[in-house]
Amino acid sequence: MMRNFRNALLVAIGALAFGAAPGANAQETLKLGISAPMSGAAAVWGLGMEWISKQAAQSINDAGGVKVGGKTYKFEVVAYDNKYNAAEGTKVAQTLLNRDDCRYIIGGIGTAPVQAMQSLSERKGAIMFTTAWGMSIKGPKFPLTFTQINTPYEVIPPLYSYIKKHNPSIKTVAILNPNDATGKETEAVSRKIWESIGVKVLSSDWYERGTTEFQSIAAKMVGQKPDVIDLGVAPPGDSGVIFKEYKVLGWNGVKVVPAGTSAESMMKIGGDAVEGVYMGLSADFDGAQATPVQRKLNVGMKAAVGEPINVIQIGGYDAVMALKAAMEAANSVEPKAIAAVLPNIVFDTSYGKTAFGGKDSYGSAQHMLVPAIVSQVKGGKLVELERLIPEELTKRLAAAKK
Amino acid sequence: MVSRSQAVVAAAGVCALAGSFFSKGDFASSLIIWVAVNVLMTASFRFVLLIGELNFAMAGFVGIGAYAAGMATTMYKLPFALSLLLGAAAAGLISLVVGFVTLRAKGPYFLLISFAFTEVLRLIYTRMDVIGGNSGMIGIFPPAYLARFYPTLVVFITIVFLFVLYRLERSAFGKILVAIRNNDELVQTVGIDVHMTKVWCLGIASFVTGVCGALLAHANNVISPGDFSFLVAVYTLAYLKVGGESHILGAVLGAIVLTLLAQYALGFGAYEHIFYGAAIVIGVLVLPDGLYGLLQRMLPGLRRPASPGN
Amino acid sequence: MDIYVQLLVNSLQIGAVYVLFSLGLTLIFGVMRIVNFAHGEFFSLAALLIAVAVPWLVDFGAPLPLAYGLAFVGGLCGVMILGRILYEFAFRRFQRDMIGSFVLSVGLALLMQGLFIEIFTGASRKLPTLIDGTVRILGGALTTQRLVLCVIALLVAVAMYWAIASTRLGKALRAVSEDHEAAMLQGIPYRRIAMTGFLLGTLLAAVAGALLAPVVVIGPVIGSAYLIKGFIAVVIGGLGSIPGAIIGSILIAVIESVGGYYFDPSLATIAMFVIVMVVLLVRPAGIMGNG
Repeated sequence: MMRNFRNALLVAIGALAFGAAPGANAQETLKLGISAPMSGAAAVWGLGMEWISKQAAQSINDAGGVKVGGKTYKFEVVAYDNKYNAAEGTKVAQTLLNRDDCRYIIGGIGTAPVQAMQSLSERKGAIMFTTAWGMSIKGPKFPLTFTQINTPYEVIPPLYSYIKKHNPSIKTVAILNPNDATGKETEAVSRKIWESIGVKVLSSDWYERGTTEFQSIAAKMVGQKPDVIDLGVAPPGDSGVIFKEYKVLGWNGVKVVPAGTSAESMMKIGGDAVEGVYMGLSADFDGAQATPVQRKLNVGMKAAVGEPINVIQIGGYDAVMALKAAMEAANSVEPKAIAAVLPNIVFDTSYGKTAFGGKDSYGSAQHMLVPAIVSQVKGGKLVELERLIPEELTKRLAAAKK
Repeated sequence: MVSRSQAVVAAAGVCALAGSFFSKGDFASSLIIWVAVNVLMTASFRFVLLIGELNFAMAGFVGIGAYAAGMATTMYKLPFALSLLLGAAAAGLISLVVGFVTLRAKGPYFLLISFAFTEVLRLIYTRMDVIGGNSGMIGIFPPAYLARFYPTLVVFITIVFLFVLYRLERSAFGKILVAIRNNDELVQTVGIDVHMTKVWCLGIASFVTGVCGALLAHANNVISPGDFSFLVAVYTLAYLKVGGESHILGAVLGAIVLTLLAQYALGFGAYEHIFYGAAIVIGVLVLPDGLYGLLQRMLPGLRRPASPGN
Repeated sequence: MDIYVQLLVNSLQIGAVYVLFSLGLTLIFGVMRIVNFAHGEFFSLAALLIAVAVPWLVDFGAPLPLAYGLAFVGGLCGVMILGRILYEFAFRRFQRDMIGSFVLSVGLALLMQGLFIEIFTGASRKLPTLIDGTVRILGGALTTQRLVLCVIALLVAVAMYWAIASTRLGKALRAVSEDHEAAMLQGIPYRRIAMTGFLLGTLLAAVAGALLAPVVVIGPVIGSAYLIKGFIAVVIGGLGSIPGAIIGSILIAVIESVGGYYFDPSLATIAMFVIVMVVLLVRPAGIMGNG
């Protein structure tokens, strides 16, 4: 009996040793980092991105992981709160890049914290996908930085021209933005485009993130009697409150939020004051134009975070997909090799097949080509008005088919 | 003649230098720099405590030092040593002016004034686009030949200034400061200009604080107004309370212990607040003499005949 | 919209909250001579408890007004318990020690903020509107809920002023605040009065948080912003003085709304801090204070 027991023990130990030994099918875990606001007015962006990226990683891991150079890798998503400011963004950057030795950042929200991270990530040779809006983030100076959503340059022109076409009598606009890099870069573009379509900019105001009482600013803006109010990149936590203040003061003109993402958040906070708001970064991920993947994710997101998906969050999913495709195409997990290959491949994302482009606008092909969507809150629901597929993408997809 | 405790301290300093020189890895480097800068900030905060004032304007001066040095390096492309000097000098000079006006108030009033001053400065930084406004100033790098040795340099500068502050404290000037804290009217009757002495005390401490700011700017490469809120002074207060106010080594001890614990044990985010908050509360309620006081009781050899704090 | 009336209405709206806040702060200072930097956390906790309780009660099937009513009571009780605990184990030993109590309260504030973020998460919550509708007063507009808030704040301020002036408790509080040793000689139970004062102040903060809960977006650290303004109000008006707190609050509310309108909010805040520094240098007792 003892002999049987001893044999069994030996076999067990042997099996354990064999399983634990490094071999051809060894697994390694790659950490994917996220730096996003997870508290405050923009919390829904960060919390949602974390959830959806974990979904992407999970689906890849379940399907067998990423196979590169004979080894299999699993993805693990690690997210930290950057509170939408540069000071926390720096700390997050140091934790992710120095302490956690993370070499792939799949989500960075907030131009200021992302800029803080960028100087470190470029120096350490880590690849970064960001949904930050600044034009200054991309370009040949930052070879390892890629964006996975549209920025003011793709979003604002179709949005404003649609609004002008359907509201031909508008002549004046008052702009409000948070006082930081994201706000400043967007305001410059907003101003230019409004003026170019013949709408005069009456005023451009700034508020500090974290403000809770907006009565004074609202009074100031409404006092000028603008036809349009443009809330720039104000996150849903703020825009809902601000629109409510306008309604209290009796203003009822054309409302626009170019970086408007979450109709439901805004409606929860602003009630019927947000009826009719035009948004540039929203999409109906339940509707006819959404892909089956997006619809399934939408159901999960509503259960996890309490709201449907928005364009910023889905960037996390798409970045993970892009990363996997690039790793396999380059047959390497080195960030520099991945970065070299990304502009050339066509890969699967939640939208279907897409690619990186944008060389003409930014100097190098680091911008993920996704549709620009104009939508509006109508009758308490989000309605998609227009969805534009970038020309460059159509050409690339056609070329890939050949 | 060097006493035993002085020898121990000197040996510890040499070890710190060696450790920082041979350390490998970015994380270890940034940790060492962070600990060293915190030590120096706590020591300079403590220096003002010698006259009995809680210098909550400290965060503002760290900011002045950081922004001045940052501007010198990025906008005017000055050599690194000059940037450091400019940062410290800016902090020191401005503190002389501010101190001259505000040190007429004492105790809780000075506390609230210095608190208000920090917030005003921070708000002004957010409005100045030339230094990056809310998004901060990026790209502040030490010169390439120093990059490898930056942690060692920081530790070296920290030790030098610790020594300077220590000697000042034990000199006649230091004794006057303590006398002012105990009873400033009495000191005035002896003919010493109490007000100017207090101003000079603040000026010296702020010069050192400015050095800290400049070092931090080059270490983090990014600075923004959020880095210089009154929380900086609160954390420094935590280091001091936990380490012990009575001796400069208390400042060193508190800063090292808390910084390392915070990093290794708890990461950051909400836990950082809980950690520092608990540290202050426990320090105030349970350890009025701090860790240094605890050590003193355990190791009689460390007891000094007349410590300034008591 | 007549702009001057609107600005006045805005000032009243903003000022109402500051008044409730600063009354608590000044009361605690007057009676115990302590600077309570953690006051904002009582405010936050009340709002957070209500933000959690109301949706839960509504899910249970309670009609909205009842849910709010129960949540109010629950929130206030929760905060009072916290206040009692803090008094007993922390603040009681630091009476009359302004610096020590400041340091301790800063630590407590940090600790509680961290705990709130951990327990309640960083997400913002918005409660369903309790009273719908907008009201126009002489040309200035505000929501009905905010009007109710203003009225309640006014009633509370008047009640406090009257209580301090006329009731026995009020006289005891004043006596202790002027000279606690003489008050003890007169037979006033100092310890009990001090505790009552502290709890009363805490209650005021909780009421402010509870009243504001239906009106703003609630996050774990909303108390901090109001705390700073509350401090400014109390310092300008005079630490320890009830009328001073009211005057100070209205003053900064006016600066905030007028400054925010003609210039911008951060400039208004800078102006407020500069005024604080000037007041502390020139007349530290404040407008109405007596040291």
